Amino acid sequence: MKVVYNWLKDFVDVTAPPEELASRLALSGTNIGGVENGPHGAVLDAEVGSNRPDCLGHYGIAREVAAIYKLPLKHVSTKPSESAAKASDFVKVDIQAPELCGRFTARVIRNVKLQPSPKWLRDRLEASGVASISNVVDISNYVMLELGHALHTFDYDKVRDQKIVVRSTRPDEKIRTLDGVERRLDPGICMISDGDGSRAVGIGGIMGGAETEISFSTKNVLIECAWFEPVAIRRATRFLKLHTEASTRFGRGADPEMAELASRRCAELILQLAGGELLAGVVDAYPGKRALKKIRVTRAEILRVMGADLPDKEIETSLGALGFAPVRIDHNRGAEGSLLAAWECTQPSWRAEVEREIDLIEEIARIYGLEKFPPRLPAARQGAARLPHHEAETRLRERLIGLGYREILTIPHVAEERDALFRPAGVSPARLSNPLSEEAGVLRSTGIVTMAAALEWNLNHGQRNARLFEIGRHYRLNGTQSSETCILTIGATGAAREKGLYDSAREFSFADLKGDLDAIGQLAAGTQPNGFQWRDGGPDWLHAAKRGKVFLGNAELGAAGQLPRRIADRLKVRQDVFFAELELDPLYEAMQTASASRRYEPLPRFPSVDRDFSLLLANRIPFSEIADSIRSLHIAEITSIEAIDLFRGKNVPPGKYSLLVRITFQSREGTLTDAQINHFAGKIISILEHRHGAQLRAS
Amino acid sequence: MKAHENKTGLPLVQLGITRPEELAALFADLRGRFDADCARAHDESAWKQFRDAWLGRKSGVLTQISDNWLKPATPQLKRAVGASLNELRAHVESQIEARRLAIESGAEEAALAKERVDLSLPGVIRPIGSHHLIRQVFQEIEDIFFSIGFSVVEGPEIETPYYNFEALNIPEFHPVRDDMDTFYIELPKGAPTPLLLRTHTSPMQIRTMERQKPPLRVIVPGKVYRRDNPDATHSFMFHQVEGLAVDADITFCDFTGTVEYFVKQFFGPSVKTRFRPSYFPFTEPSVELDASCIFCGGTGTAAGGGTCSKCKGAAWIELFGAGMVDPAVYGFVNYDAKKVSGFAFGIGIDRMAMLKYGIDDIQVFFQNDVRFLKQFP
Repeated sequence: MKVVYNWLKDFVDVTAPPEELASRLALSGTNIGGVENGPHGAVLDAEVGSNRPDCLGHYGIAREVAAIYKLPLKHVSTKPSESAAKASDFVKVDIQAPELCGRFTARVIRNVKLQPSPKWLRDRLEASGVASISNVVDISNYVMLELGHALHTFDYDKVRDQKIVVRSTRPDEKIRTLDGVERRLDPGICMISDGDGSRAVGIGGIMGGAETEISFSTKNVLIECAWFEPVAIRRATRFLKLHTEASTRFGRGADPEMAELASRRCAELILQLAGGELLAGVVDAYPGKRALKKIRVTRAEILRVMGADLPDKEIETSLGALGFAPVRIDHNRGAEGSLLAAWECTQPSWRAEVEREIDLIEEIARIYGLEKFPPRLPAARQGAARLPHHEAETRLRERLIGLGYREILTIPHVAEERDALFRPAGVSPARLSNPLSEEAGVLRSTGIVTMAAALEWNLNHGQRNARLFEIGRHYRLNGTQSSETCILTIGATGAAREKGLYDSAREFSFADLKGDLDAIGQLAAGTQPNGFQWRDGGPDWLHAAKRGKVFLGNAELGAAGQLPRRIADRLKVRQDVFFAELELDPLYEAMQTASASRRYEPLPRFPSVDRDFSLLLANRIPFSEIADSIRSLHIAEITSIEAIDLFRGKNVPPGKYSLLVRITFQSREGTLTDAQINHFAGKIISILEHRHGAQLRAS
Repeated sequence: MKAHENKTGLPLVQLGITRPEELAALFADLRGRFDADCARAHDESAWKQFRDAWLGRKSGVLTQISDNWLKPATPQLKRAVGASLNELRAHVESQIEARRLAIESGAEEAALAKERVDLSLPGVIRPIGSHHLIRQVFQEIEDIFFSIGFSVVEGPEIETPYYNFEALNIPEFHPVRDDMDTFYIELPKGAPTPLLLRTHTSPMQIRTMERQKPPLRVIVPGKVYRRDNPDATHSFMFHQVEGLAVDADITFCDFTGTVEYFVKQFFGPSVKTRFRPSYFPFTEPSVELDASCIFCGGTGTAAGGGTCSKCKGAAWIELFGAGMVDPAVYGFVNYDAKKVSGFAFGIGIDRMAMLKYGIDDIQVFFQNDVRFLKQFP
């Protein structure tokens, strides 16, 4: 809300310059977004919190200023002269929906002269950012900005039967509002209607109707100043998507007591600026009159919450200035600073949200000054714990970074069609019912979707080499339940090694991906050197010949592989792209188990011997079968079985390949002799020949 | 060489030398020749030849002198010849060794010159990855709070309205809900509760208090979502760290002390803080925490004069919202509001990172351009 500095002076003799005032207001709870010095003096941009409807007018801000500077607040006293004719003879008000409208006041002024407003009025409205229309309309805006209470003026002669009926919406009701828009209404909205109540002339507390609008031909004016139930107003504004100055004020909770005063103030200004005759009295239907609450505040509670004391006088003057009328009620009355001190306060009608002791404590503290409560660092009474998987996640992240992967973070909102590309069969995604756009319509059901987007971004921005990882979640829906699963997603494309002074370039390949994943798998390897196990298969969106499923024991963690051409083409990616995704919870668990069970193994004292076997094998026999057969011999002296070289083509018969296997032997008992090694080699060759038809080539 | 061979090959008598005084010129001549030879031995092979010529056991010059001059010398000459020979031997040996060292170091220098690395060339560059900046900031914040006794917990991003709003004292149609425009999940008809994307990490305040009795101190890092159109300062997904401390005797002073400690740890000891009263339904008193502008040092004036563009001359920058836990919240988790008190805060991580590292567009965090990622190794 725009606060005109000079306007404040109508109610409080503030002398502090506007900038200083802005800072004091901000530090007592009315944040000021900025101070502008315009042709009508300084204007403060007050960011009034939704709990402070009383500060949506200059009078309310002036009350804050008076409390901060300990200055008196000038009360609004207004006594417009009235004619002999009584208002109650000229207008009737019937509130049929007291749950929506707690008070409705009506005043009538006859024979007004509509004309442009005088300069002082136009200036203040202009400074407040409100356009000037005509004196009567401007006055209702002026009073709203002054006292924070919205009013509505009707052309009295257009109101049928001199009667206002306040009721709830009727089925399929519509109204054309002041802004010329025809609006469909929802049940439970407060409608102002006239005559027999069949015609709506306004949406209560939100906007008037077009049919009874003030115009330059208006002679007689009906002033409505009412109070509407805030929750109903907020519900209605949300349904109508219609936010007005009035709906903001009523929706946050206006002051029901202010309704009559604002109406009187409005009448006074109309008489002053538009002439006419004010009918005597006010028609005031007030079914929602509330008893003012009594609230107690004690020093003991102030100390318990705030942790530091303040003098009685500060408590009393701040509460008093804000209208809470504090009265000491404890048995130690008069004992300054008593720890037993208690005050009874009366909730002012404009502060409906202050209901509890804590609310009063906040009021006292903010006026006294939060900076006066000395900060201190409390002692911890307990040990602190990291997340259960903190260590595992940290180690995983460090390993990935060591392997050359950069961590990314993505927004999980993706296009449905993109998600579907990578979504496993049978998975229902979590769709948004109100997305910002179709491009962000579902939450990713796999991290691959956003990883692909990150790679695309880089390729489109001239970065052809990228190795990325993300530790995040994927989101799915199981019936009416959502699930969030922690995942590691890897994406890689471009050079595994760039051309440099010392090395030639090499493109990233499936073997790179597998090696990197196995380096992660090692984190979960126990005393046996077995991390991840790889099995054939994987999702359809991976290259049928270059993919694999990753297992840890019997648990399938995920899959890895290359993006097939057909999908790469759809994504307009022209180079080879590799992805992997692993579920993290089982991996973390295995890492923790492995880490807890890891023990030192004494280093061998005797030398190891390598023996190479050059094998000619049928294409269908994978390395793992060879290794498994060798292991099945249970030769304890074998410490490793590695594939050293692989060759197809020239000098190798079709349908076969040549594999060079290096086996390392070592004994803990002594140095192995040639005879022993030859004995082992014989057994190995024999099993490979018999089981796999392997031919030993001269190496 | 020929010359001394000739001379040293003959006994002294044949050279006509009979008196010791005549030896001096003879040895001086030899020494002159040695020095000249020595100077000519430039490399290892020349040096070896030179060494053998003088010190060779069978036919070296010194052996010849010993055989031909010393051994047959007359008794009156023998002592003088021996002395001169020793003197010459000492000279020859020391000079030959000196020459060897000189040649060796010369060769080394030549070799070094050939092998010297160019330090201005890069080494072999192994690809090393990097942490995402948001993750680094998360870690830094987590470490600060961990050091003062805050445990870390996580929670779901897909939440129910109960945890995101109601239990935080934000009933339906509360005006605050308008400020937190919310994404909802499309559910089949008959779903027991609507699901939404949490608009803050605060639901974990409730979930934590439901699980645990005071004293408790936790922080909750995570993603949050608000349905804002993206621009340089808004993203519909961003990150928060929620904090919550509840105990029998936690006061506002403990609260301000804790968050002030955090700000000074994070931005540096010279940064000042101030607390502005504010409003959140789940805290009371509520505050906005401001820090003295870290770009202009809290002066409001930019280094080159003029108004600081970051704080717009205000000298203060808004950091995050916080406050004492509203007693109404305790009602939802069966805590006795008369016996416990606490504080809560919600730090926007993206904003902290932008302030600390001078980033002016929140979108760069989520584009994941490798050129951005490389800047924060």
